[in-house]
Formats: sequence, C-alpha cells, structure tokens
Amino acid sequence: MSRARQDREVLLLALQAGRILLENGAEIFRVEDTVYRICHAYGLYSANAFVLSNGIFLTSGDEEETQFAKVLQIPVNHANLSRVAEVNQLSRRIEAQQCSIETVRQELERIEQLPEFPQIVQILAAGIGGSCFCLMFGGAIPDFICSFLIGALLQLYLLKLGRRYFSKIVCYLLGGALVTLLSIFCYLMKLGPHLDAMMIGGIILMVPGMAFTNAIRDMADGDYISGSVRMLDAVLVFFCIAMGVGFVIALYGRLTGGVLL
Amino acid sequence: MNLLIQTLAAACGTVAFSLLFGAPKRYYAYCALIGGSGWLLYLVAAPLSSPPTATFLATVLVILMSRWFAVRKRCPVTIFLISGIIPLVPGAGIYWAAYYAVTNQLSTALDRGFGALKISVAIVLGIVFVFELPQKLFRVGLKKEEHL
Repeated sequence: MSRARQDREVLLLALQAGRILLENGAEIFRVEDTVYRICHAYGLYSANAFVLSNGIFLTSGDEEETQFAKVLQIPVNHANLSRVAEVNQLSRRIEAQQCSIETVRQELERIEQLPEFPQIVQILAAGIGGSCFCLMFGGAIPDFICSFLIGALLQLYLLKLGRRYFSKIVCYLLGGALVTLLSIFCYLMKLGPHLDAMMIGGIILMVPGMAFTNAIRDMADGDYISGSVRMLDAVLVFFCIAMGVGFVIALYGRLTGGVLL
Repeated sequence: MNLLIQTLAAACGTVAFSLLFGAPKRYYAYCALIGGSGWLLYLVAAPLSSPPTATFLATVLVILMSRWFAVRKRCPVTIFLISGIIPLVPGAGIYWAAYYAVTNQLSTALDRGFGALKISVAIVLGIVFVFELPQKLFRVGLKKEEHL
C-alpha cells in the first residue's frame, strides 16, 4: 500500500474510532486522545483533531504526510459503555503492538455491531432499578412492587415510543407525565402508600446522569463548548421531567379539587 | 438494618443502571460496590452534616473508587463513574420542586429546587477536585510493567 493510501486509511479508522466513542458517551478528552494515539501508532504525526459533542474535525498534512481533511457530524445516540470500553482496549492494543490496519478495521466493525441487551432485559432492569431507588427514598414493600411496574412501563415507553418518534423535549415531558399518572393511579388504588417514593423511583430512570457527569468532566478538561452543550442537554431534560410531573399533578388538582398527600 | 437494606438497594439499583447504560458485564460487581459504598457514606454522613456536604463526601468516595478500579481493570473510568453516581443525583429534588410549584407552595418549591441545585454543585466540586489528583496516586501497589 502506498504511503498516501495508508495514511488515508489510518485517518479514516481514527475517525471511526472517535465516532464510536463520542456516540456512546465518552468524554471529549478521551476521543481526542484516542484519535491521536491511533494516528501516532501508524507514524502519522501531523494529524489534528477538533472534537465537539456532536462532531469531529480531523485534518492532517505537512511536507511529507498526506493532506487530509474530514468533518464528521455525529447524531446524539443512546450511549453504550461497552463500546467505549472496547475501543479503549483496542487503542491500547494498537499502541502496545502494531496491529495491521485490516485487523483494526475488523475490530472496529465488530465493536460497532456489538449487540444491545434485548429489550425485555432492559425493561426488567429498569423495573428493578426503579424499585431499588423507591426503597432508598422511603418506599415500603408495596411501593417496591408498584415501582417495578412503573419503571418497566416507563422503559417500554422510552424504547418503543419516546426515543424513537419524539424529540427529546416531548419524550421526557411525556415520560414525566407517564410516571406521575401511574404513581397517582397506584396511590389512589391503595396499591402503594408512598406516592413520593414511587414517583422518585420512576423519575430517576430518566435523570440525565450521563450528560451531567460528562458535562462537568468536559468543562474541567477545558472543553467548554462541549461541556456547556451537554450541561444544557442535562438541564433541559431535568426541566422537561419536572414540567411533565407538574402538569399531571396540577391537572389532578383541577379535576378533583383535592390535594394529593 | 435499614442501612443494610438501603445499601443493598443502592448496589442493586446501580447494577440496573449499568445494564441500561450498556456497561460490560464483567464490571457489574465493581459498579455495585461503588454505588453501594457511595450511598452508605451518604446515609451515614447526611444526619451528621447536611445533604450537600454528605453528597460531596459520597461523590469523592465514588470517584476515588472509580479511578482506582479503572486503573486496575484498565478501562475507562466513565463505566464505573456514571452508574456509581446515579444514586447521588438529585432526582428526588426535581420531584419535590415540581410538586410544590404546582400546588402553589412557591417558597417551599424554591427551597427544594435550591436544595437540588446545592447537591448538584456538591457533585460538581467532588468530580472536579478528585479528577485533579494525579493518575500516579491510583497506581500505588501496581508492578512496574503494569504501568501503562
């Protein structure tokens, strides 16, 4: 393979690795670092990467090395940390021992094809997660069972409807409303005595913990633009959930004239 | 007894979140340990101080442990950190703020909202400070050739 072709291949692979990382919830710093590590491992030192929360700009070229420029726009996706771990492992391997470019390409392909958990497992996990948090915030055994159902139904909604068809704002607004409706229903049917614990168990499943944590870490690393974008994302989701919750509680108050709790 | 149940619930909840975030299965035990310890420290510290202080201490513990395991297991710290910190994120604060706001108890709503903000700031401080610590500290006890 000619030098120019090889350089091009390496840069494309570095971009692909960066894209997988960024899509699946890695920090900006890690994306840049991985792109450089891959480029350097194949003797490409003029590469320059500029990474934002939803895009990568990669250029290279000087007197000896090939001119190359590519911009990659990256849609916000649902994160999968396994992929981050795998790409990280791959970049360590590339550094430690020269892998052939073909191997790297195959590995990246494989990582991208890594299966998600089956939806039923995710729904059960959400149920368990919700009910555990319900216990932590003052729930009793009946609330625990209700919370399991609320969490599972919420995850079903997020998987089948919310994340697929709605914008983020509408998705979490309706999610907050759904949790509130179900919790009020359980409370009124005397299935669970602690309305607040059931509510919190449901809400916590939508809380943007990843966006929030990554935002802070990006800002601490000096990546202010990406940090602010991610923070805005987190705050927006927080507000949408709160509005969804508030809307249903207010509606309930209007309809019945009664006050909950 | 209550403390034990709550810690177990936190550990179990953390694992459920790691699954939802798609973390690799081999790390679930560590995620559970981190989430459980963080929440236990919060529970012990909160009555002695205030929720923001307790959150700060718990965040520091969660991140120290996350970095410790990340170096030893050679994987991105994000995997442990994100699920471990979820119990501390003020999800309850959002609910109470929204609840009091629409039931016309505005000053209580403001109190709760501000409380949630304080807890968020405590988490921010914890994250920022512990990530300033040099990586070397977390390699104590590792053999030379394992440094990477």
